[in-house]
Amino acid sequence: MKTEQDKATAPGACVPWDKKKQELPAMTGDEQLVKKVWEEVDSLPYTFIWQMVVSF
Amino acid sequence: MSADKEQLYQQRLKRYTTALRNGKPDRVPIRPFVAEFVARYGGYTCQQVTQDFNLAFEATVKTCANFDWDAAVANMVYVWGGIAQAMGLRYYAIPGVGLAPDTGFQYLEPPEGQSWMREDEYDQLIADPTRFCYEVWLPRVSTEVAKPGEPASYRNQVAMVAGGMALMSYFGAFPAQVQRMRAEAGMPSAIAGILKSPFDIIADKFRGYLGLCDDLMTQPKNVQKAAEALMPHMYHVALTSSDPTGTVPIGFWMHRGCVPLISQEHFDTIFWPTLKPIILELHKQGRQVLFYAEGKWKHHLKTFLELPEGSIVFHCDRDDIFEVHRVLHHKFAISGGLDNYLLAFAKPQQVRQRVKEIIQGVAKDGGYIMDAGAIIQNDATVDNMKAMTDAAREYGQY
Repeated sequence: MKTEQDKATAPGACVPWDKKKQELPAMTGDEQLVKKVWEEVDSLPYTFIWQMVVSF
Repeated sequence: MSADKEQLYQQRLKRYTTALRNGKPDRVPIRPFVAEFVARYGGYTCQQVTQDFNLAFEATVKTCANFDWDAAVANMVYVWGGIAQAMGLRYYAIPGVGLAPDTGFQYLEPPEGQSWMREDEYDQLIADPTRFCYEVWLPRVSTEVAKPGEPASYRNQVAMVAGGMALMSYFGAFPAQVQRMRAEAGMPSAIAGILKSPFDIIADKFRGYLGLCDDLMTQPKNVQKAAEALMPHMYHVALTSSDPTGTVPIGFWMHRGCVPLISQEHFDTIFWPTLKPIILELHKQGRQVLFYAEGKWKHHLKTFLELPEGSIVFHCDRDDIFEVHRVLHHKFAISGGLDNYLLAFAKPQQVRQRVKEIIQGVAKDGGYIMDAGAIIQNDATVDNMKAMTDAAREYGQY
């Protein structure tokens, strides 16, 4: 679902991969694997905060 | 799992889902949203089932095993005290901790002027809702979490780890609970996932009802923009927490978006335009939404007809169930409508009579699921719950 919010952190993420990647050393291996794992792990604090807001 | 329990499960699931799709099953399904009633039935206090979710699970399975219902919620005492305490949440009153042990948990409305989000913080919320929740909202609602700029104290670090792991522990326990309901009671789980309207999030968790009412008068554009900013997050939470097969609906808990809690104008310009696209998108993804319409929503029933056929199930709390049926039945299934006060204070014969009236008035063509209007707490008597169940079975045969 798209809104006019271009600069906000997208749903499902807390620290987007594009931002995190800039903080890491040069990618010498499979970047997609690093990205996939980062996004999976980063979705956890997203789930936490929004479940706190919505469910609890 | 015994064959008879699995057969029972399949019969009940078919009955329930047929009615959810506005069809006519073999009999009227019964799906009571039993909350603290399971504590009463299971021999526990509210404190026990709120503080120890394993006791809530146990009580739910016991209740499901002994009542001939067609679906139930895996744990309708959904707030686990462990999380509230790990995070030091200020907006809860938990039974046994400041509340009597046999009083259900309460949400505490923030005092006027001390809301969890201040009136001049809309820009921050609108700019990045997730960041706002971490940086502004969480430190304010928590006794433990440090604000940006404050020392990252020992208690802060402990609370964040404890809260995160507690949430995973709690949510991680649900698949086994759903399986227990199936194996030990032949009982389908009634809903999966959660949705709240962006508008209600602002009222419930950020500004409080009084703060929101002020803002609707003084800065309605900011309320609208904030609701719009929350939309993608509400959608994401609903979709990712839903049943991926779309078999059972997402629970949508409707609090303060109706007249007279807000004006018709604010419903038309803020509440509905920031909710409808979420429902439409979920429908496109094959998800049905249970409109758990707490209070009275009679002024908005015709608006809900804008939604695609079958996209929602309308749950009736304090509305006239017969009017709800007249307006909505041709597009949506309905549920509920049995007054909770009857379950608490009436005689079983009165409960039976009302169940008969409801079924005869709204269930003739299918598309109706028997339930009370609101979640059933520990004021409901066991005899009246039996009366509801027996009467629904007796009068609910097609």
